[in-house]
Amino acid sequence: MRLKAIICQVLTREFEHAIARSPHSIELEALPMGLHDYGAAMLPRIQQQIDASDALGFDAIVLGYALCGRGTDGLTAGATSLVLPRAHDCIGILMGGRRIHEQYFESHPGVYYRSPGWIEFQKSGQSLEPAWAVARNSMGERRSREELIRQYGEENGAFLYEQFTAYRRAYSGLTYISTGVSSDADCREQARAEAGANHWMFEDVPGSLRMIENLVNGEWPPDDFLVLAPGSSIRATLDERVVAAT
Amino acid sequence: MAVSSELYEAILTGDARTAHAATQAAIDSGIGPMELITGSMVPAMNEVGRLYEAEEYFVPELLLAGRAMKSAMELLRPLIAAAGLKLSNRIIIGTVKGDLHDIGKNIVASMLEGSGFEVIDLGADVPPEKFVAAVQEREPHVVCMSSLLTVTMPVMRTTIQALESAGVRHKVKVLIGGAPVTQQYADEIGADGYGDNASLAVSAVKKLCAVA
Repeated sequence: MRLKAIICQVLTREFEHAIARSPHSIELEALPMGLHDYGAAMLPRIQQQIDASDALGFDAIVLGYALCGRGTDGLTAGATSLVLPRAHDCIGILMGGRRIHEQYFESHPGVYYRSPGWIEFQKSGQSLEPAWAVARNSMGERRSREELIRQYGEENGAFLYEQFTAYRRAYSGLTYISTGVSSDADCREQARAEAGANHWMFEDVPGSLRMIENLVNGEWPPDDFLVLAPGSSIRATLDERVVAAT
Repeated sequence: MAVSSELYEAILTGDARTAHAATQAAIDSGIGPMELITGSMVPAMNEVGRLYEAEEYFVPELLLAGRAMKSAMELLRPLIAAAGLKLSNRIIIGTVKGDLHDIGKNIVASMLEGSGFEVIDLGADVPPEKFVAAVQEREPHVVCMSSLLTVTMPVMRTTIQALESAGVRHKVKVLIGGAPVTQQYADEIGADGYGDNASLAVSAVKKLCAVA
């Protein structure tokens, strides 16, 4: 098969690893990570790449994305089938499946995640967090204390900063997902140091390339992947399936 | 014209100190707590909601107005209790189990309070059984749940099911909200209402309680 893979940069290493071992011909295109931070802009950005690849005769376009805070809710397949992993975000993909992520999340609701890609592609000053709903930026919680004080005065600015950052105090850990790629050891140590500097509990959990390997190997069992027929769209179901075709 | 135009203005401008002082001054001059709530606070919160809808106010302004309103309520609540008065309908609110993100929930809670509702805030990461216990003990008119992560959204359905299993679902209205939540999802899980933003959540609660 000839496949086009449009992926989030955060998964680059893992995709390159899996593509090198895939029997298929795959053209890889990575988009900047953190698109879910740009709100409604995420969907048109990915759709644009899908549309641009549509006429190039690929057997399918596979997406290295998940629901990503609804950032893929509404993506539409053109003339080429579109394949999306069933997961809430990249954590589910990197852990080897949404159920593993959900199970882990249940006992760890307040942890930040890192993986080789989260470490490698993190820009200075960028605070990386799992995909929140795409509307998040309208809340203004990324603004610094100084900015808020400048606009709202000392007392109100400090109060707003406190409100916007209160959730962070409930975050008590940093979990590193080891995916076994060559940069893993270095990235793990950086994640451990980040946890230490912030006084967070550090946990190293084994990841899995299962989802990514299946995706690029053309093995798309319906329990793990949504395969969109030409012309249909992704719809978030938020049930066991996470997404469905519409 | 508001009963206390100073309190009204202080809420609109998010000035908690002035709101507190204006409330005290109004109380000292003999204005009753319910009169202040219905005559100054409710109109102020309505105006805050209107400005938000018009995109003149944003989330920070809502938080500041809510805080100013809270500083007034601190003075009024003991008076209401002492006089044996009753606020409007009782609301229970919380973020669902697993979701620690409560900014939106806090805004809705304070706007509801400012709109004259009695609000019982269960906080963040509230398990279904805690919602059930609160409904059984406090007999609210409406239960509000919020979720920021898609991974926690299914807990809204679980919580509604827990209310059903406990036999109390028919006694309350359920309203859901949070950035990834939609009207369609509310319909799918059998919620009675949905708020696309804090201001619309307050309107939806009013509608569910049939308060004008």
